[in-house]
Amino acid sequence: MKGPMMRALSGAAALSLAVAAAPLIAQAPQGPTDADLMNDAASTGDVLTYGMGPQAHRFSTLKAIDTSNVSKLVPAFAASLGGEKQRGQEAQPIVYDGTIYVTGSYSRVFAFDARTGEEKWQYDARLPDGIMPCCDVVNRGAAIYGDKIIFATLDARLVALNRNTGKVIWNKQIADYKEGYSATAAPLIVKGMVITGNSGGEFGVVGAVEARDVNTGELIWHRPVIEGHMGTLKGKDNGITGKLNATWTGDLWKSGGGATWLGGTYDPETNLLFFGTGNPAPWNSHLRPGDNLYTASTLAIDPDTGVIKWHFQTTPHDGWDFDGVNEFIPFDATINGKPMKLGAKADRNGYFFVLDRTNGKFISANKFVMQTTWANGFNKAGKPNYIPEGRPPAPGEGKGKPVFASPSFLGGKNWMPMAYSQDTGLFYIPSNDWGMDIWNEPIAYKKGAAYLGAGFTIKSIAEDHIGALRAMDPKTGKIMWEYKNKAPLWGGVLTTGGNLVFTGTPEGYLKAFDAKTGQELWKFQTGSGVVGSPVTWEQDGEQYVAVMSGWGGAVPLWGGEVAKSFKDINQGGALWVFKLPK
Amino acid sequence: MLSRRRLIGGAGAALALGLMPGGLSAAPLAKVKALGTIRVVVYQNNRPWSWEEGGKLVGLDADLAQAIATKLGVRADVAQLVADESADDDLRNGVWKGGLLGFTPGDIMLHVPFDRVFAARNDQVAIIAPYYRESFGLAGSGGMAVEAMPTEWKGRKLAVELDSIPDFYLIGSFGGVLAKDVTHYPTGSDAVAAAMAGQADAVLASRAQIEEGAHRSGGKPLALRKGPLPAFASPGWDIGMAVKENSRTLGDAVEEIVTAMGTSGEMKALFDRYGVTWTPANAAG
Repeated sequence: MKGPMMRALSGAAALSLAVAAAPLIAQAPQGPTDADLMNDAASTGDVLTYGMGPQAHRFSTLKAIDTSNVSKLVPAFAASLGGEKQRGQEAQPIVYDGTIYVTGSYSRVFAFDARTGEEKWQYDARLPDGIMPCCDVVNRGAAIYGDKIIFATLDARLVALNRNTGKVIWNKQIADYKEGYSATAAPLIVKGMVITGNSGGEFGVVGAVEARDVNTGELIWHRPVIEGHMGTLKGKDNGITGKLNATWTGDLWKSGGGATWLGGTYDPETNLLFFGTGNPAPWNSHLRPGDNLYTASTLAIDPDTGVIKWHFQTTPHDGWDFDGVNEFIPFDATINGKPMKLGAKADRNGYFFVLDRTNGKFISANKFVMQTTWANGFNKAGKPNYIPEGRPPAPGEGKGKPVFASPSFLGGKNWMPMAYSQDTGLFYIPSNDWGMDIWNEPIAYKKGAAYLGAGFTIKSIAEDHIGALRAMDPKTGKIMWEYKNKAPLWGGVLTTGGNLVFTGTPEGYLKAFDAKTGQELWKFQTGSGVVGSPVTWEQDGEQYVAVMSGWGGAVPLWGGEVAKSFKDINQGGALWVFKLPK
Repeated sequence: MLSRRRLIGGAGAALALGLMPGGLSAAPLAKVKALGTIRVVVYQNNRPWSWEEGGKLVGLDADLAQAIATKLGVRADVAQLVADESADDDLRNGVWKGGLLGFTPGDIMLHVPFDRVFAARNDQVAIIAPYYRESFGLAGSGGMAVEAMPTEWKGRKLAVELDSIPDFYLIGSFGGVLAKDVTHYPTGSDAVAAAMAGQADAVLASRAQIEEGAHRSGGKPLALRKGPLPAFASPGWDIGMAVKENSRTLGDAVEEIVTAMGTSGEMKALFDRYGVTWTPANAAG
């Protein structure tokens, strides 16, 4: 509105205009609504949520591209993220109304024209130089709602941008980066609330799940995930998490860890949020006897109140850094002749869990990696059969003698999301077969002072591969097929109605497999490692596939002998979009 | 996530070689003098060595940085580094490569452990000029039997810095009998302050933290345990400085300055201002 006209309006006139305009805005929504987000799995013309639906199946019913023609897939365009900031690109694209929204390393957001790849706008968060991100400067994706694109930054802020202009609508601190907090996950939007976890590798961080008003960023509820901490709802106390000192000694619960750094999923059928929690602190398990609830767990949370409805701990009393953050994916299946509402999680600890998602009851846990040295299966009660020799010793004991542990601390599966096909009934798990030697490091220093640290080195456990994409039957726990990859797999998975499974490799390929047999049908070299999550949608009558390329993430930071498998991979930063030739 | 002290040896060194453009290298002596500025890196929030008070950076390392610059005839540009998960990482961020988010490496970094094994695995830097011998000590208020067997402290309030050797010792030793008596604080200095304020009966912290804490509060000093703590992991360590491996001309000049400050009594006076007894490093001979 032009200045002179604005000045001409009297106060009363302006007010009446505003009242008249309000219903108009409501009738003409400026973008995706709550209902649209909940319907994302069924709507094939867009990708509105991280996971391609709140349940994060990463399954599309589209079948124009199928096993018979995927070998002809070609690039439609590529779009560079530019600059010198080429580090790990772990984002999943969001696609809406002719625009592809991606987040990039160093907390950047890009809007590209979905037909031409031309950049519409770019937003670069200004980051303070005192941030210490533990595992590269990645971001895993944005959320869309109405006129907003919302994403989290490395300095632990949530930023809402106008999706047409890239201009800031609101920008809220969600935690203090000076206390070691950070944020890299894609936000989840449920019932007009942005639901986020938190991240931070630093000691003293306590995991939490929070809900904020999507229009203002104002906090609605806060739920710490470590027992003893008070939750809040609308500014008022809302009950303590768990029971104080039930599974923690002394005041260690105050700094118990459990960061919820990977975000969560939502199941509209049971109205439950599912968030995974990180490993406990301190690292040395001998200093914190007990189960250390609710670390290394999956929590079911009521989105309306932030109250924990049930929990299941995948690694009680963790001593290997097996944090339990992995996505819990709701699905339905018939077990022993009984139709059940279930959920599945492929854990860092190497086991694939199936639970009753209505109450958290244990159904099964099956190994999805080559080797687990820490436990030999789970008993009927859902507790691990520990192997005592597999637990790293307390500092000062067994000095210098390494313990071999598998999976390594980077996990049988790390952050990269698996997919579930409603057609085949199989889960497709991006997994890694690797172990670690871990030992006490007597000459260690922290902030210039003597410290008792652990040293370790990651090791291969197979001659021919580290990465393995595996098809798991959740009803039997059997691996139906596997694809082995030389370098560790670090990207997400997509499955489609065309009987296809897509995933990327650090070697730079986006690959397509037959969802039933695992046969490799197509690959394309993107120029840098692929550690993002692919998506698919329909546009102008054609099916498109898109993925981010750009090597990085935690793997190259830790190296060890595993580094040989990726030493020749170069950094990059680009969005690649594919379709069938006309 | 796991505390990540593992960019040890090979991986770190390989990373260094590929990512060190000549233009960013810390200036050796001639360049520092020509520029008239030396960039000195100290830890952020590391009382009594370097911390902010009333918007000003103060502390033993902050003063030492100024003293070195003055003697070199240049201005000190003192930069505060957020500690990463190990001192190895801090050398990468603070001296030879810089931070992932753009922290510019310094010409020299203070408060670096002077230790042969540590130095060997951090071969991108030269660790020089050991200037203090640090150690942990237990101090208690009146009525606390500081010389007793630690198990006799059951039921007393014990203060420590979270995730430190004192923390691991008190919560983990003797079958964990003292675990419930330990209160954790963000820093050793905060733990000392709690003991001085009567909120804890004893504190296990570095000697510099204990002495400066008593000096600051002006209260009755805590009684320091004289006998060694049974099965305690750390005998103490020397603190020095680090320059980039190819900045030895600067390192040699600073080492001369530090040695002279020790001999002349200047170093003792600098520590006295904070109530800390200057103890020469063992390696300083």
